[in-house]
Amino acid sequence: MSQTDKINYLVGKEGLKREILDPFNEKIINFFSDLSKQIMKDKSLSKYPDLMAFAFFCRKANLKNLKNKLDQSKLKRLGLGILFHITPSNIPTNFAYSLLFGLINGNTNLVKVPSQEFEQVNIICKCIKQIIKKKHQSIKNMIKVVRYKNNDAFTKKISQLCDCRIIWGGDQSIEKIRSFTLNPNSLDLSFADRFSLCIINTDKLAQLSKEKFKKLIYDFYNDTFVVDQNACSSPHLILWKGKKNENLKKFFWTSLNKLVKIKYDLNHTAAVDKYSELCKIILQDDKIENFQRYSNNIYTIDLKRLPNKLDDYRGKWGFFYQFDISKIKEIQKYINKKFQTLTYFGFSKKELNNFIFDNKIDGIDRIVPIGQALDIDFYWDGYDINKILSRIVDVR
Amino acid sequence: MNLYNFSNLEPFNLNKEKKEFFFKNRINQLTVFHSKRSYLYKRFLKKFNYQLKKVNSIDQIPFLPARTFKEIDLMSVSKKDIFKTIMSSGTTGTQSSKIYLDKKNAQNQVLVLNKIVKTILGNNRIPMLIIDKDPRFGSKNSFNAGAAAIYGFSIFGTNHTYLINRNNEIDYKSLEQFISKNKKQKIFIFGFTSLIYEYLIKNNSLKKKKIDLSNAILLHGGGWKKMESKKINNSKFKILLENKFKLRKVYNYYGLVEQTGSIFLECEKCSCFITSIFSDIIIRDLHFNLVKKGDKGFIQLFSILPTSYPGHNILTEDVGKIIDNSKCICAEKGKAFLVYGRMPRSEIRGCSDTI
Repeated sequence: MSQTDKINYLVGKEGLKREILDPFNEKIINFFSDLSKQIMKDKSLSKYPDLMAFAFFCRKANLKNLKNKLDQSKLKRLGLGILFHITPSNIPTNFAYSLLFGLINGNTNLVKVPSQEFEQVNIICKCIKQIIKKKHQSIKNMIKVVRYKNNDAFTKKISQLCDCRIIWGGDQSIEKIRSFTLNPNSLDLSFADRFSLCIINTDKLAQLSKEKFKKLIYDFYNDTFVVDQNACSSPHLILWKGKKNENLKKFFWTSLNKLVKIKYDLNHTAAVDKYSELCKIILQDDKIENFQRYSNNIYTIDLKRLPNKLDDYRGKWGFFYQFDISKIKEIQKYINKKFQTLTYFGFSKKELNNFIFDNKIDGIDRIVPIGQALDIDFYWDGYDINKILSRIVDVR
Repeated sequence: MNLYNFSNLEPFNLNKEKKEFFFKNRINQLTVFHSKRSYLYKRFLKKFNYQLKKVNSIDQIPFLPARTFKEIDLMSVSKKDIFKTIMSSGTTGTQSSKIYLDKKNAQNQVLVLNKIVKTILGNNRIPMLIIDKDPRFGSKNSFNAGAAAIYGFSIFGTNHTYLINRNNEIDYKSLEQFISKNKKQKIFIFGFTSLIYEYLIKNNSLKKKKIDLSNAILLHGGGWKKMESKKINNSKFKILLENKFKLRKVYNYYGLVEQTGSIFLECEKCSCFITSIFSDIIIRDLHFNLVKKGDKGFIQLFSILPTSYPGHNILTEDVGKIIDNSKCICAEKGKAFLVYGRMPRSEIRGCSDTI
């Protein structure tokens, strides 16, 4: 059914006006600095760790830091023009990061937020409006935030007039949005479905102090359960590298389960989905060696061997495949373009760098310690977002 | 014990202890039976480290979730012996369950359904009014399992009359004919709960006609989901039917397409569903532990009917609870329980959609 929804403007009014600035313009940095303070003042802040994380991300010191990551060549840049952001339905604060990436590079932004109402979205939008009114009138035309579910005519119109369309979403949603053509000069920046994994050095894990072990479990929880293990950078597969140590693995999962019991609100859907998935793969797949259930909180599935289409082995709600390896190189031939984030514990940066670059690995574009899987950055899915969202003016 | 033979069993004639003993043995035997005939089921039990040699209490036997029947073809007979396949699309999702029946299993479903329904309809076939379209029209609303239910229950009736015509309207002419012809005798009305609400209760034109259905026995099933928003529950439903048609004998039934035949009828006094010799229920919590007596949780259902597919022990996605019926007339029949239907699906967080 193609019913047409009204476009609900959460920030700004109808009508797009092209305005551009240079990247990391003081006006924008000050805007985010004030936004950060405004969000920090909100009384619901403590309820939403993701809101806190965004406020922390857009504070002045961090933006200055990020500026230093920029292309340091002498070439000067300006914003691309109008950006059309289509953000994922189930991560409430993603739109704010997308807006930040666009705005900080000097663009005018139209951001579509999830049609489902999230309190975090409302708070951020409220704060944006407050600080624009108070102090940042000069950039008000550069920020529009809209909410709608079905309105192909609108999506089509904005697609034709934007300079870059940023789509965060699954393969199917991207395909659908791509059916609305862009202006010949414009480009699509899409963040599609990805597969992520985690590698743990068991020899190092065994030596870990009690406190550090606890911290690691906490970090792993944040990479996974905080988003129902359903963000593209949450790991589906855990590789245990080193001496085989079943007890250590069990201890890891049992410790995680203790934390999950306290912090995670397991729901009916999660329980049934996980169990149904387990029974399906047991019946269907001869690569399953064994499984363990830590009540209905965590399921772990031991693979007999690594399957060819490794990125099909996905879990949600705390459903992990695991496999023992003795050398990291053993996974080389399974890695493909679908692979996004490798989270790790017990490896040196150099080791991992060498693995990727010595072997020219055709996949994986983020390698971060356990605990940072969800930390969004200007480098994402292998792109340098700053470079894409601004243009060089080559004056010789 | 012959797992195919149901002719000497009656739904409600064993006392609690005898039934438990019989049922436990039968479910254990069925578990062994299916593991010998379905290598997939055998693999399933093996992965759960299940010991087939012991006789276990029924809650200790690994259970398949209902969704498995949508995802995997499970059968315990060779393909050539499949006599018919029942498909059900269920309430959500697009995949249908596929239930593979051989001749014996299909016959036993009819036999057992007959034994259960006889307890409210009596031994003779009576004129039957079906609150649906003739499934031969190939209606979009009734899935294959819907048609199967209509055909299944049709064996209890004569003079089958369908209330709804091809255009989804009430066929008043047939209805009037049916009623005037059968005024003096017991009649059987059958249909899905939602259609009965839609066509009998909500429809105002029937009121003007002053239809008297005090001679009818109504049997309905399929769940209350569609009526939830209208705040219609079982007791309200009954009151509305009585006020409008003097229809007092109203029975709700519950059952799985995976366990067709061994349905649960409601007790006419306490309105709870009652287990029979052919079926049993247990309730599990979020972690699939058994709940404390009287607590809500996932419904797990057992049936001794499935022989051509391993559907004798299934975890449903419905939520329900067991009711203490020790003071009700149904106590001697079996366990009493209520069904609250499916929990709404929880939204998953994550970044795989943009709607």
